[in-house]
Amino acid sequence: MPTTNLEVFSGWGNNFHSIANRQSGFGIEALQSFVADAKSVRGLLAAGLFRSYGDSALNSGGTLLDLSSLNSISIEESSGVAIVGAGVTITQLEQAALKHSLFPPVVPGTGFVTMGGAIAADIHGKSHHQTGTFSACLRRIRLLLSSGAIVDYTPSDVEFWATVGGLGLTGVVLEAELQLRKVAGNTAEVTERRVKNLGEMIDLLGGADTDFEHTVAWIDLSGDYKGRGVVSLGNYGTTSVKTKESKSSGPKLPSIAGKNFITPLSVRAFNEMWYRKPLKNGPVALGKYMHPLDGVNEWNNIYGSAGFLQYQFVIDIGKEEIFEKLFAGLRSLKAASFLGVLKKFGERSLSPLSFPRAGWTLTLDYSTSVPGLEKFLSEFDEELVAAGGRIYLIKDSRVSPTLIPLMYPELNKWREIRRTMDPKGLWQSDQARRLHLC
Amino acid sequence: MLNGFKNPGRVALVGSNSEIGLAIISQLPENNARELLLVGRSGEFALDVTDKAGRERVVADLFSQGDLDVAVIAVGLLGNNPELNATDNLLATMEVNYVGTIHLVELIAERMKSQAHGQILIISSFAQVRPRPDNYGYGSTKAGLDFYARGLASALEGTGVSIKILRPGFVQSKMTVGMESAPFAITAEECGRYGVAALTSKKLVTWAPSLLKYVALVFRSLPPVIFRKISQR
Repeated sequence: MPTTNLEVFSGWGNNFHSIANRQSGFGIEALQSFVADAKSVRGLLAAGLFRSYGDSALNSGGTLLDLSSLNSISIEESSGVAIVGAGVTITQLEQAALKHSLFPPVVPGTGFVTMGGAIAADIHGKSHHQTGTFSACLRRIRLLLSSGAIVDYTPSDVEFWATVGGLGLTGVVLEAELQLRKVAGNTAEVTERRVKNLGEMIDLLGGADTDFEHTVAWIDLSGDYKGRGVVSLGNYGTTSVKTKESKSSGPKLPSIAGKNFITPLSVRAFNEMWYRKPLKNGPVALGKYMHPLDGVNEWNNIYGSAGFLQYQFVIDIGKEEIFEKLFAGLRSLKAASFLGVLKKFGERSLSPLSFPRAGWTLTLDYSTSVPGLEKFLSEFDEELVAAGGRIYLIKDSRVSPTLIPLMYPELNKWREIRRTMDPKGLWQSDQARRLHLC
Repeated sequence: MLNGFKNPGRVALVGSNSEIGLAIISQLPENNARELLLVGRSGEFALDVTDKAGRERVVADLFSQGDLDVAVIAVGLLGNNPELNATDNLLATMEVNYVGTIHLVELIAERMKSQAHGQILIISSFAQVRPRPDNYGYGSTKAGLDFYARGLASALEGTGVSIKILRPGFVQSKMTVGMESAPFAITAEECGRYGVAALTSKKLVTWAPSLLKYVALVFRSLPPVIFRKISQR
């Protein structure tokens, strides 16, 4: 029997606190009848591991469905096809796949994301320029609709594309069928290079597209804000290293009296050290390479009780001058980012709300207590939209709802498909309310 | 909805004629999704506070287009309408400051409970500290409202909804034009800043100005003879 618990939930940024009912312990049939009978005006939402930064997985006054019981993984080695329950995490899938010399071709920066979450966000990874988003390795998804019906969708269905990147607002993903790729070992062959500024970084990343399946750069946005950093290029390796299999890796970072340790000075010091650290050249275990931050559990506590936000946007190739404006503005605010990531995207998927599309994507983390940050980002959003860019909804906490249709011109198309899939408006989230998505 | 900076998006001012109320909502921290809903004698959310059905209708309207993050409750009469005699003034003040206001707060709190978030800022008054011969009628309505608000605040614990009480002293505004100013008088704009601070404060009660907290302590402890002398000044 499912159990109910009233709890306070937060996204990964710890900057929202939302009270909802958590319903867990479901089998498929119990879930089906729970959904079909649901009458809550505040609606339902499937929630995984709360790695979305803002309020995408929150539903104040409503119900959150915990689907961690849907945890089965079955892999056919010869074809490389995996059938995976919605509650399975990326790390669990990777570990199971590696036993068959297989690996998911698209994985995000953290392995603590469920299949349901990966589909709802249409996540991307370092391989986007070659492999596209998570949707590219999906062959089929099984969805529970608000009517209680269970339907399978494939990439030839519009409902498939409305669900991919659809922020959980079209239905509950129950399972996914994925095409894994063959790997010869359990490592990535990694090359790292230090660059002195943004220009060098863009040149190096831009030129590495064809030779490397994985490309990403850590960018130092503190100090002189010139954008020095370390470019990391990788391909699947042929060697294997010993790895320990664990559910939660590394030490847990405690919250120390709710204090924020991210100050311009501490970021400066950290970034200096990170820039100078010895460069990797050679094989690195895939899990470690793909998910560098998973080594420290709950690293989000470092921002204290005010919480933080992640700002990620994409801008067309050729519009790089917008970075200069951004860096100058951040410098004048003394807003130092501890985690800056630059990546070149490949082509977009068919999903109306999927974020990635050809161009540069930059990701920054900021404490919400930086004075003037909100106003600055609101102004920068306007410039971003004018330049044809957009932000990633799964990271958002603060964009103006009026900009969403400009950033996502297919929003209305998505709304129409969504309405046919959920005529009673059962699937709701705080983000959908805040941004008037539905 | 609040944004990630915890700044409110949809905000209602109940009592759009109130200079204190307007000063509060105009000084709220920025949110690029801000929507201000003004409830007053006229306009989109027109309301006669003494009309029960009207109160129900307006509160339903406030929540019909989305969640309400903050409601600033700034309705109130001083009881000095020259067209009414003393008793009728008292009755009107009770109808508005007590019955009408509390019913509005009840209705709003109920809706906020179902959305599991929201804040109600209730404007009380220094006048509720201790009855004075010149304004005990008004003071009693604010004392009743203040008492109710404190009770509601504890009843709402754990629901996600919170109550904040602002207790201003003498505020220079059109409500007090022609009245003799009192010590610790502040402008409506200054009072608005205290109101904004009340919303982020962990405390239930915010005095405007803060010093009034201690003045109130003294007021309450003065022997009746001395208090009468001071208040007749």
